[in-house]
Amino acid sequence: MSTAALMSRGNGINQRFNLWILERVRQKRGSPELPFTLEYRHIYVMPTMFGFWFGILLALTAIGGLNFNNNMVLMLAFLLAAIAQLTSLLAYRNLSGMTLLGFRATPVFAGQAARFTVLLKNPEERLRFAIQLVSRESSDCTDIKLQATGRLELDLMTSRRGWIEMEPFRIENRYPLGLFRAWSVIIPKARCLVYPAPAPHPPPLPKTGRGDFGITRKGEGEHLHGLREYQPGDPLGRIAWRTSARHQTLYSKIMESPCEEACELNWYLLRGLRTEEKLSILTAWILRAEHQQIPYSLEMPATALPAALGEDHRNACLEILALFEK
Amino acid sequence: MTGPSQKATRWVIASLSFAMAPQLVKMPIPLVIMTLLPLMWRIGAEIRGWKPLPALVRHGATALALLALYFSYGSIAGRRAAISLLTVMLALKLIESYRIRDARLIVSFSLFLCTTQFMFNQGILMPIYGVFTIIMVLVTLTQLHRNEAYFAFDETPPVSVSLFSELGFSFRLLMLAIPVGLAFFLFFPRWVTPLWGIPEATLDAKSGLSDSMSPGSIQNLFMDDSPAFRVVFDGRIPQPSDLYWRGPVFWDFNGRTWRGGFYGKNLGVASQPEANEAPWTYTVQLEPNERHWLFALDYPATRPRHSRITIDFQILRRLPVTQLLQYSMVSDPVFVDSPELGVTLKNSALDLPVDSNPRTRKLIERWKSEGLDGQAMVRRVLTHFNTEEFHYSLDSPLLGRHSVDEFLFDTRTGYCEHYASAFTVMMRMAGIPSRIVTGYQGGWYNEIGQYLLVRQSDAHAWSEVWFPDQGWTRVDPTAAVSPLRIARGSLSAIPAPRHLLDYSWLRSFRNGVDIVQQRWNDWVIKFSADSQARMFSSFGLERLTPSMLVATLFVVIGLFSFLLLPFILRVKGPDRKDPLRAVWLKFLQRLKTVGFEALPSRGPIELAHSAAIQLPRDSRSIHHIADLYSRSRYSGTPPPLRQLKDAIKDFHPKKNTG
Repeated sequence: MSTAALMSRGNGINQRFNLWILERVRQKRGSPELPFTLEYRHIYVMPTMFGFWFGILLALTAIGGLNFNNNMVLMLAFLLAAIAQLTSLLAYRNLSGMTLLGFRATPVFAGQAARFTVLLKNPEERLRFAIQLVSRESSDCTDIKLQATGRLELDLMTSRRGWIEMEPFRIENRYPLGLFRAWSVIIPKARCLVYPAPAPHPPPLPKTGRGDFGITRKGEGEHLHGLREYQPGDPLGRIAWRTSARHQTLYSKIMESPCEEACELNWYLLRGLRTEEKLSILTAWILRAEHQQIPYSLEMPATALPAALGEDHRNACLEILALFEK
Repeated sequence: MTGPSQKATRWVIASLSFAMAPQLVKMPIPLVIMTLLPLMWRIGAEIRGWKPLPALVRHGATALALLALYFSYGSIAGRRAAISLLTVMLALKLIESYRIRDARLIVSFSLFLCTTQFMFNQGILMPIYGVFTIIMVLVTLTQLHRNEAYFAFDETPPVSVSLFSELGFSFRLLMLAIPVGLAFFLFFPRWVTPLWGIPEATLDAKSGLSDSMSPGSIQNLFMDDSPAFRVVFDGRIPQPSDLYWRGPVFWDFNGRTWRGGFYGKNLGVASQPEANEAPWTYTVQLEPNERHWLFALDYPATRPRHSRITIDFQILRRLPVTQLLQYSMVSDPVFVDSPELGVTLKNSALDLPVDSNPRTRKLIERWKSEGLDGQAMVRRVLTHFNTEEFHYSLDSPLLGRHSVDEFLFDTRTGYCEHYASAFTVMMRMAGIPSRIVTGYQGGWYNEIGQYLLVRQSDAHAWSEVWFPDQGWTRVDPTAAVSPLRIARGSLSAIPAPRHLLDYSWLRSFRNGVDIVQQRWNDWVIKFSADSQARMFSSFGLERLTPSMLVATLFVVIGLFSFLLLPFILRVKGPDRKDPLRAVWLKFLQRLKTVGFEALPSRGPIELAHSAAIQLPRDSRSIHHIADLYSRSRYSGTPPPLRQLKDAIKDFHPKKNTG
């Protein structure tokens, strides 16, 4: 991803200010070592737009009070100014000590939003109100209870396959009155794998494999494969009533059928197409084969995987496609 | 939705309503309606879920409100008019506010509205109003902040905050802000001269004595219990019968209404008593009344700043009194006011409308023909009031064209202005120059606060007659009818309660409680650039310059931050609140002194084992303590903490010399 990620949806000045801060953070601090605890030198505090106008209103009130030497007007204006000042400390305090534990991301297909989960721990004995994460494209907000860990999610739109780097984001809050914003810029070292986008109308699956691959299709068929504990969603007809009665738990029968077909997904089958189109079609085939529970093998110019089924196999295949020639 | 939640919206409405209440009371009725209508509509919309009004209706309402404002005030130049405009506009803003931005705008201006009310009233109840407004606004802003943070997500915030904790938080915020606010209040340099002037007509209605007197005008003041001024005497306190506070003086009579004379208003005083011989020294704290008169005892020997003293000893301030005003006075009762009187003045002190009050004139002619003159005539008239059936009462019928005739011969009942007016007219008929003086008489002495409280209900009217060489002499005809009025005050002269809640114990209570207001005035309202500069004069620093003040401000705030910041920003570790851990840490400390370093990763039993190996002589007590600790920590029925504490107190490991 480009490093000049804009951090703000605000106006031009705001955007330039945020970019400047980001550049500073990049030079001074770079990506934080995890776990990363926010300390005073990581946190910035500035008035919000509302805080700015509120300050102007207070200043006008104070000038009026000074002019007429009206002590109650002055007292109120000064009190409110002190309160406002105090809230800037509280905004800072609401962030300081928060610990960034790590990032998680599950692979997505190009065109989908990559969802990064940020784990934020509150190691202290006080509640953290309305902690917000803001990136260029999305934001999230949560309260984090004492000594709890908050999971906040940031989405990032993807367009191309391969690794996508998580963009810089801000941890911020405007607690308690919205007059001040305290924030810290994080340049995360986290990435998400983006699979190629599956082709919308792929050619039919190349069912070229033979039945003696030795792999059976579990789930359907006439032969009993074994028993397992009942899981919600298992059809009623599959429940092994007799066994269940003996063990006082529900068991479902797993059936199997001998594998009659398999597909060989082969890079060289697809000719006359561009690389990305080929990858899209292969992705679509993998998904379809997985859906139809037909074992599939994958052969690429540099690597090959034997026929198999299941989540791990699927992910391994998709990863090869995602990182092909990258 | 980007709008505030329903709860927050209700708080916005409540804050605005509360902040505008004192203003509503003072606004003309059409404007009050134009303010309440949008407010009611919005409340209805919140309860019933009405749809937002179309723009046409909203703009129409705004135009209507502006019209109502224009016709009520004539312009929007005055202070009250400008604030009425703000109030109406805020109420109208309410009907089109469905965003957090708008809600914040309304709430911020509610605070502003609250401050504007202090321009009119700085009474003792106003700080309470201010504090309540602040707390309500803080609660509202807290809720709006949470709305803003969560608005993008349909989920409700994971932690729900109770109203009680919101109120508590706002209150704590206010309390924590008080020291810094106070430091700013005391040390922020004040302006000696205002940048722009105070508009002449600022208050809602002038209060107190006016520039004319007709039957009933002082009687109305009798109903008004608000304080007129307070006096602190330096040294001797005059007798109640000497407490005549001189205000407006009237020369011209049209048969019904007394007015100030042209000469009386415009000529300056010729001579004043010597200040250093005057016995009465006192300081007056005058409540704002929008008028020019400053009140003093006869005869003022000094002149307050920005004021002049007229030939009839009225003290007139250049600008009306719009704020609490304090001035020091010296008065000497022994002084001859105008031993000689010019012809013009004499004539205006004798002038009467022709053909009025024929019956009175006849009576005076009869007395004159009996040879009564001068002082004897004065005594005769007073005796007449005293011996004939005259009543001192508030229930006096309305008087017509020959007001003095009707009063003297028909109704025979009246308040001080009736007697003063009748007496003065009779004197003029007898050829004795006379005039009416209005002001206050008496007051209530607050023993605790050691000050004299004069209320509007102490308003009084009396006469002055002029004799060659003796000058103007005070004659109070009311004293002839009701000596109690002078000796004991206006309220004892009329025994019947003035209104439903008029009991004497309540009045004494109110008089006593007035000390709070007096102290408030003394310490807060009166504080000015001058008192600020002389704040440290008792420490030898005569005058503080603005730069010294700013330096002091920084020092005070720095000191305060030093004390408070760790408290605000404190990091609450688990050690602080866990007494068990604190005791355990003490134990580890003891072990450390004899050279045993505890690894933090070890549990208590494991730690005890290795410690016992290293310190075999203390192994029994080490195991005992570790056992107690782990049972206190993990067992369902923990032993009392006392036991562990005692065990650790008695634990004195010896260094293993072997």
